[in-house]
Amino acid sequence: MTDRAESGASIEFSGVRKRYGSTVALDELDLHIKPGEFVSLLGPSGSGKSTTLNILAGLLQPDEGKVLIGGRDVTRLSPDKRDIAMVFQNYALYPHMTVAENLAFPLQAPGRSMERDAIVARVNEVAKALGIEQLLQRQPREISGGQQQRVALGRAMVRDPKVFLLDEPLSNLDARLRLRMRRDLKALHQRLRSTIVYVTHDQSEAMSLSDRVAIYMGGKLQQFAPPLDIYRYPVNLFVAQFMGEREMNTLVGRVESTDMGCVMVSGSLRLPLGEAETWRHFRGRDVILGIRAEGIQIAGHGEVQGTLAKVRLVEHAGAEQVFFADAENIEFCGRVPADSDLRIGDDVHLHLVAHEMFLFDASTGVALVQGGQPARNAE
Amino acid sequence: MKPTQVASGVARLAISVLIAAAALLPIVWGLLSSFKTPQDILQTTPRWLPATFTLENYISIFKAGTGGYLFNSILVSTGTVALCLALGSVAGYGLARFQFPGKRAVTVSIIAVMSIPVASLLIPTYTLMAEVALVNTRLGLILVYSAYQLPIVIWIMATYYQTLPEELEWSALIDGYSRAQTLWKIVLPLSRPALIAATLFVLTFAWNDFVVAVTLLSADSVRTLPIGIYNFLGFYGREWGPLLAASMVSIVPLVALFVALQRFFIAGMTGGGVKG
Repeated sequence: MTDRAESGASIEFSGVRKRYGSTVALDELDLHIKPGEFVSLLGPSGSGKSTTLNILAGLLQPDEGKVLIGGRDVTRLSPDKRDIAMVFQNYALYPHMTVAENLAFPLQAPGRSMERDAIVARVNEVAKALGIEQLLQRQPREISGGQQQRVALGRAMVRDPKVFLLDEPLSNLDARLRLRMRRDLKALHQRLRSTIVYVTHDQSEAMSLSDRVAIYMGGKLQQFAPPLDIYRYPVNLFVAQFMGEREMNTLVGRVESTDMGCVMVSGSLRLPLGEAETWRHFRGRDVILGIRAEGIQIAGHGEVQGTLAKVRLVEHAGAEQVFFADAENIEFCGRVPADSDLRIGDDVHLHLVAHEMFLFDASTGVALVQGGQPARNAE
Repeated sequence: MKPTQVASGVARLAISVLIAAAALLPIVWGLLSSFKTPQDILQTTPRWLPATFTLENYISIFKAGTGGYLFNSILVSTGTVALCLALGSVAGYGLARFQFPGKRAVTVSIIAVMSIPVASLLIPTYTLMAEVALVNTRLGLILVYSAYQLPIVIWIMATYYQTLPEELEWSALIDGYSRAQTLWKIVLPLSRPALIAATLFVLTFAWNDFVVAVTLLSADSVRTLPIGIYNFLGFYGREWGPLLAASMVSIVPLVALFVALQRFFIAGMTGGGVKG
């Protein structure tokens, strides 16, 4: 395939709403995607991410608001007039056509009036770019899941659209193949520079692929930012819990100040937070303390900050070990290097890393402290 | 296999054979007798196989004009099937894929209409057809048959469409095809089992119908095969040979079609089980 200088189109949602009966599928969505950007829509099922994609594709009509692609208002435009291509979770390959016929199908559409030879040439070009030339004469049911996935991708690429919509395209593949396809997708985006909107519920996919991630919950966009920003500065507890390989350790309680600095009090557990000024603001308030697993380590001798705990479980995870330890009946999950000699039943001192600590309002979930610093979005 | 399993298998087989025999024996008897001479048929000790094999019965019915009845039956049945599929496949698609005001009412009335017995509609239908001068025409019969059979066709098609993944159609729409083109190029080729099931349903009705045809048609030139067969009772008194021969002419094409297509028929009835 030839490298194309032109990039994809920009996408803009403004004030888009969609309801199904009494349930709000999408609430007041404002989202601006830059040309050529790779954006993931991330969230649990029913959070509104697929609704967003279907509205963008023109398969659903929003109740309110506007959708612009490349600056053009497409809100009331039918799907075929939007210059987009979509890859569906089940690939939607036409079972009665060969791979070649599937790839040629978008080019044979009535409005496109392409020459037969040009279609054949283009199909071969795309098949070659994706390494599926040898499959052209096969039927979709005769090829593997990964190959079907490539054909679906090829069918989207074949007419060079400004915008690609991908709806959980890797979720039907096995784990290893998924990682390979993830890399291939990234490479493909580097080459095509089209705008890609990618729906997924897998946070690691979103993290590794995207320029920016939009996190949804309950029909509302929670945060739209580059992956690392979302990881470091989650706007609320939901986002913090959703991003990251393991769920954050959380602790419901209050911050109290003592001579030794602030402590987090949760039931009978008193967890020193250090002397930093940050914590003092939230004294007496009902809060949730959040610490990612990478923020919980085993303290060496002489380190004071932390609490005593008993190791319950140790998992080997390649380059490191993940352990679960109880302190005052509260379970903590942390990480230690692969070579550390940790055994079930050991009594250890947990060390909490200051810059991995987060604080959230207990009732609203809004972030108060992010990575040991006052939250960027704080009141 | 355990002895109990073998026993239940044998029992099931025996019952199946018994049911099949009950259904098939009269037809087999009719088929064999259609090759017998009149004396042979009425022999007091009946015999299964003809004593002298003769095609006389078949020759006589075709001399008496059965060829014309057969032609009319083929014409009317084909016309009815074509009209029902053309309308039913599109109407069914509308019901399966679109939300529109009154959809529920339409769905309910389609099901309700299916439960009205044809006989109760005969007189009004006749009056209506007489008003528009379609009595005694093959076109009139095609229209009436289609009206009776369309609801079931719509129903078969709509239920089958619902088993197809909608993403296939979305994909075609995004790629620049209209709804109609998507229906023609994607949906219908994938709905072959349902189309075949609907065809067999309609065909069976149109081919076998006697009561509607005898009501609407009076001229001999437009009559269909079932009326033709009935007429042999009158024309020849109780001449069983030609009557049985004519019955076989009417049964064989349908049975052959069912045997050839039964794989698809069952797939269509169970809906979506077989794809592609």
